[in-house]
Amino acid sequence: MDGVGKLKAIGRRFIPFASILVFLTVWELFARAGVVIPYLLPALSTVLAHVYADIMGGDLFRQLGLTFYRAMTGFFIGAVIAIPLGIMIGRFRFFRWFFDPVISITNPVPKVAFLPIFMIWFGLGDVSKIASVILLVFYPMVIAAIGGTLSVDKQLIWSARSLGASERDLLRQIILPAALPQIITGMQIAVPLALIVSIVAEFLMGGEGIGGKLLFAQRRINSPGVFASIVEIALAGAILIKSLEYMRRRLLVWHPETKLTTA
Amino acid sequence: MAEQTNITVENLSHTYMPPKGKPVLALDGITLSVKDKEFIALLGPSGCGKSTLLYLMGGFLDIQDGQIRVNETPVTEPSRDRGIVFQHFALFPWKTVIQNIRFGLDKMNLAKSERDERARYYIDLVQLHGFEDSFPSQLSGGMKQRAAIARTLAMDPAILLMDEPFGALDAQTRMFMQAELLAILEKTPKTVVFVTHDVHEAVLLADRVAVMSARPGKINEIADIELGGGPKDVKSPEFAEMVDHLWDGVRKEALAAGQGR
Repeated sequence: MDGVGKLKAIGRRFIPFASILVFLTVWELFARAGVVIPYLLPALSTVLAHVYADIMGGDLFRQLGLTFYRAMTGFFIGAVIAIPLGIMIGRFRFFRWFFDPVISITNPVPKVAFLPIFMIWFGLGDVSKIASVILLVFYPMVIAAIGGTLSVDKQLIWSARSLGASERDLLRQIILPAALPQIITGMQIAVPLALIVSIVAEFLMGGEGIGGKLLFAQRRINSPGVFASIVEIALAGAILIKSLEYMRRRLLVWHPETKLTTA
Repeated sequence: MAEQTNITVENLSHTYMPPKGKPVLALDGITLSVKDKEFIALLGPSGCGKSTLLYLMGGFLDIQDGQIRVNETPVTEPSRDRGIVFQHFALFPWKTVIQNIRFGLDKMNLAKSERDERARYYIDLVQLHGFEDSFPSQLSGGMKQRAAIARTLAMDPAILLMDEPFGALDAQTRMFMQAELLAILEKTPKTVVFVTHDVHEAVLLADRVAVMSARPGKINEIADIELGGGPKDVKSPEFAEMVDHLWDGVRKEALAAGQGR
């Protein structure tokens, strides 16, 4: 490959980030032009300096860690409830008859409205924050698991039955893997939600965590601090979402979609 | 496997309930008996209910009216004794070829060495050596179908139910697979029910061909394919005559169905 070809190859690697670079440049120029006062929109460089100071201060990771701990604990508990339940609802008429109406009626209710109730029930600590996360992430995952289970090719089930599979074998060895692409999609929707609810819960209840840190900065009219928190959440969240995509490719090596994304 | 295996279908009717619209009568009073180690083809135009009949024999659909018995035991659910091969293979896409073949074997009460040996034997039989660790999505249509056939044969079922197994393959692969199937059955004789809409295929493979009518499916005729013993000569006048005769019957039914009867 010649020099130009190499440059082109490197350029191609950065194409996915071009839109972000343009956005960040416009932000910096707009803020520096002095169209608005820095309190309304601090310059990107100011915000990044703040992020750098946060990282060096060491406290950032504790705050992010707390928020992630709440988000991920809620996410995992939610997944452990929602995925098996969704598979059962998809597989057994009785479960569908019982749970389908409950899910349909409660799903459109804004779940964040339950935050004050959880505060009354569980206090202002981690329990009520994690409970809010569970309640929110439950829905996309249970709906994905129901849909995934209902769309399993019935000839796969027939084949397995004629090869001597019991109902238990079917659930674990056929239906779960066959529904996995949709279930993982549900998880990919749930993870950012978990992070959002965790932060909103911190806003409402105060205390430690990245949401608390943001609120604290806002109350002190420290707008670079507020923007820095958002940038920090965005970066940490992006890492989380990328690792989910990686997990998806690893789990679905057999799936035709994987070839498209890795080739 | 000295015991006899026969299938008796008695006065079987079946109605489908589509999500919208009126119930559809798919099968109307089918009576049929399949003898031990016999190869019977169910031949008919598309939509005549031949696959439904096969699925009922497999125990995959609930029997509504009439009865199916295997060795005098009524069929109520799927069983290892009745292996199935589908047109679109129904391989487990998240399992490799060897894992697909081991799926049923691993649920049998066999020593590990025996299971390994059987898996190996059937991989060789269908000539998939070297593709054990491939996923189905990496295989050609013919290879997928051979893997599916190996998975079913590895259970050593007394009955083999085949639902247009070569219908999704190109003409060349189909001819090759037909010859292979006959060779395999020569080695391990089984009672076979084979659904097809290909008259030539039915005459080539089967001992008897049951010609079904357009919906609601009935059996119009059961033809004995006796072409003077020995391997069938596809170039003989008798072969051509039998194909012509059965084709006439199928065409009439297909036309009748086309006219919305």
